[in-house]
Amino acid sequence: MQFKHITCPQCGLLCDDLDVSVNDQDVTLDDNSHSVCKQFFVDAKLTDKSVLQPRINGKPCTLNEAVAHAAKLHTTAKQSIISGLIADVQACRSAFALAEKTHSVIDHANGQSMRASTAIMQRYGEVRTTLAEARNRADCIVLFGAEILTKFPRLRERILQPAETISGNTDRKIIIIDVVENTDLAADEEIEFFHLPLPNLEAAIQQLQYLASPRASAETEIEPAIRAIHQQISESNYAVLTWTASLFSKNTAEQTLQNLTFFIKESMKTQRCVGLPLSGSRGEITANQVSTWQTGFPLPVAFSSGAPEHNPVIYNAETMLTNSEADLLTWISTYSSDDTPKQYATANIVIGHPNMQCDQTVDVFIPVGIPGVDQRGLACRTDAVATLPLHSIRKNDLPSADHVLNLIYQAL
Amino acid sequence: MAIKLVGAQIYDPMHQIDGKQMDIGIDQEQICNADALAPDCESIDISDCIVMAGAIDLHTHIGGGKVNIARTMMIEDHQAHIHHGDHQCRAGSGHAVPSTFTAGYRYAEMGYTAGFEPAVLPINARQAHMEMADTPMIDKGGYVLLGNDDFLLQMMRDGASQSAINDYVAWVLNASQCIGIKVVNAGGVHAFKFNQRRLDVDEVSTASGVTPRQIVNVLSRAVYELGVTHPLHVHASNLGVPGNFETTIATMGAAEGVPIHLTHIQFHSYGTEGDMKFSSAACEIAEAINNNKNVTADVGQIMFGQTVTTSGDTMMQYYGHEHGSPKKWTVMDIECEMGCGVVPFRYRDKSFVNALQWSIGLEIFLQVNDPWRVFLTTDHPNGAPFTSYPHLIKLLMNRSFRNDHLSNLHPEAQRMSNLSSMDREYSLYEIAIMTRAAPAKILGLADQGHLAAGATANITVYRKQDDIEKMFAHPAYVFKNGTMIVKDGKIIETVKGVTHVVKPEYDKSIEKSLRTYFDKFQTISLDNFKISNDEMEECIGSQVVEHPCTKP
Repeated sequence: MQFKHITCPQCGLLCDDLDVSVNDQDVTLDDNSHSVCKQFFVDAKLTDKSVLQPRINGKPCTLNEAVAHAAKLHTTAKQSIISGLIADVQACRSAFALAEKTHSVIDHANGQSMRASTAIMQRYGEVRTTLAEARNRADCIVLFGAEILTKFPRLRERILQPAETISGNTDRKIIIIDVVENTDLAADEEIEFFHLPLPNLEAAIQQLQYLASPRASAETEIEPAIRAIHQQISESNYAVLTWTASLFSKNTAEQTLQNLTFFIKESMKTQRCVGLPLSGSRGEITANQVSTWQTGFPLPVAFSSGAPEHNPVIYNAETMLTNSEADLLTWISTYSSDDTPKQYATANIVIGHPNMQCDQTVDVFIPVGIPGVDQRGLACRTDAVATLPLHSIRKNDLPSADHVLNLIYQAL
Repeated sequence: MAIKLVGAQIYDPMHQIDGKQMDIGIDQEQICNADALAPDCESIDISDCIVMAGAIDLHTHIGGGKVNIARTMMIEDHQAHIHHGDHQCRAGSGHAVPSTFTAGYRYAEMGYTAGFEPAVLPINARQAHMEMADTPMIDKGGYVLLGNDDFLLQMMRDGASQSAINDYVAWVLNASQCIGIKVVNAGGVHAFKFNQRRLDVDEVSTASGVTPRQIVNVLSRAVYELGVTHPLHVHASNLGVPGNFETTIATMGAAEGVPIHLTHIQFHSYGTEGDMKFSSAACEIAEAINNNKNVTADVGQIMFGQTVTTSGDTMMQYYGHEHGSPKKWTVMDIECEMGCGVVPFRYRDKSFVNALQWSIGLEIFLQVNDPWRVFLTTDHPNGAPFTSYPHLIKLLMNRSFRNDHLSNLHPEAQRMSNLSSMDREYSLYEIAIMTRAAPAKILGLADQGHLAAGATANITVYRKQDDIEKMFAHPAYVFKNGTMIVKDGKIIETVKGVTHVVKPEYDKSIEKSLRTYFDKFQTISLDNFKISNDEMEECIGSQVVEHPCTKP
């Protein structure tokens, strides 16, 4: 059976123009050129239905037994963490209900890399644009790091170089800045690639920000390429700056995003200049949106007192798990079989992708349907504006993560 | 379950009942004739109470991306207002722009049973509906934004017929599961993307080639001709600009006699008199409303204290961001449809401008003669959080209380305001009109906003007391669809509420050009853009209730 307009949740772009064929438990993307999307559907193929049973310490059991055991672990836990959250809206909603009931700390698998962006929004606010706006409006797009094209492989085709735009003008400058050589991009006639002799991308952004600041002077030592790029931005009608925070060092990401924000806001005094941050490849935008509307706080959220508390230093899930500050981890991961939890000295419940390999070290493993293949769902895109439907295109008996979380909730 | 509410004073303006002592019957989810109930049914003596239908907020920002941005930016407010859950209620946080569960509980505790999100971006409609689905206790609905979208502007530039525009408007209403159409700074948000910093009502946008007046004209006509009950909901051009009352009156004229609703009109009622070049034009605006029977307005009253402004009007949010407090602001261009801007504000009674804004709002309330055509809002959270409604009602009903407050404001603002000379005090009957009967009527909710047999049993019971503010803040009982959800101001049972929508008919051939537009320019496919009823129920989490459209 063939399906059209299928959404792929494998990266934050949530491309929804895919044709997918389904033959029993085999799902195949019809267009092989979309490598990341293809991997999502290859990974979804179910070959052996017998392994889809829940397991307690590696031994097969019924769903009811697995849920009862999971509930028992929650009852005895002193400090529980719910993480992963690589899931659709409905599963995230249920995860928050469970977190509140069990006084857990809840965070996303990519929580740490989201912190800088959240902090900048909390402290300064931002100037942003969305995918379609950038696609149609931009006459100059600057990307900080060539790796963006690898992480978001259809960005070029869908946003940077569309066949047509609303204005009719497809002539635009596409500039990529990096500090490592890239011979393919250097030879690419449609892209201006700048290999800068700087230690990192953060240094390039710092220099760019300096040029826009009121204290900038002609004498300060700035890479000529940065001056040229600044000039290019200044002369454009709608300049889009694109980055992904995961390419920045954890220690300096906040400062770097602050520099980008200050640059854009300073530019806004006279011209249109906007940011287009890219993320969401593990569903973190979805989890963060649900967190913000349900609790009033972005991730992480601690329900230790029963009410939500937001303190990203104290309640960083990965740090808490590493430092043995928790004794139970509930890991929710439904998009990729590879997204298993790290090994920590806690009891653990995994509500996971059906092809996930979990051994006896996992106390409870409950395989669940994949949103966008086995279950309907909703996911939020990188720009945190568009929410895309994930379709159910395959029939089997796998429960949804949402259903399993509700069962655990009810068993408590 | 049947309940008889015995002996209360009833205020039901839809049926001209002004304080008459009567019994009210509840049978399952509906109001029924109390005499028809079995004699042994549950009976509650409320002879020391007054009864009104559940209140309806027709303009409150409770869901969507901009609200989530505001929640993120208002971290200090959220840290300072943590709300514990219990066996009934979920936990949450926030005062100015609370989390979803909290917003639903606070509304119910004040006797509100419905709230309408006035700025649903088509592309963000799913999220807005999800947030509203997670806002329990009250019914919800949304007004979808048009008038800055490239598709409409291109149609207008190409000289599309009114009927083709009507088809597009109807398609968007169907696709986004909304109950009305809103326009924000018509054409201005689009122009801002081209670095235009202002756009007056008769100014041709260099970006789109059309004027705000033309956009308001075609959209107000479309809504009218499609038979959508709620008139075009208009956030006029030049929000916050001294002298903008002329723009507002011109915007009323753009409708050319068809119904038009001017929202948060306080922010659009400013003159340029006086040394500070900022003055009240409430008198001119009220006169224009009084003289134009096709015009309705909600006020968008400001209250003093910390809040956050969240608006689709990027152009004017950017214009005003320097006055924000604390100093942080967000502006976002969105999907060739719209934009949004979020700027925290702290309104101060010792600020001349803020004090005069406060007076202007009240002056409008007191000078519009017909309470069926002026609605009680603070444009939550832009003027103040919705939790300030009981205080606002007291300001309207008690002249000495109002004048006491006025006397504490910035002296120059007092001098520039003629509020102290206004004797009018709203009656309970008039409050019932502007918070219940009139919103239900203007939204086309035939079964709400009144207390006749057959109406949905959304009922608020207030215990009479001298302090009107306390009375409206803590009802004795609130019933939602016949279920007692609040007792003595506390939630005793949680319910979900539904989503009210309209689905006007249209010529389906409009999808041909829309499909081309989506395929060529958009980043979501047309089929995935549309939200179906079963998606609303199964994934988004809210049942849809459709209301009829009646073509003129």
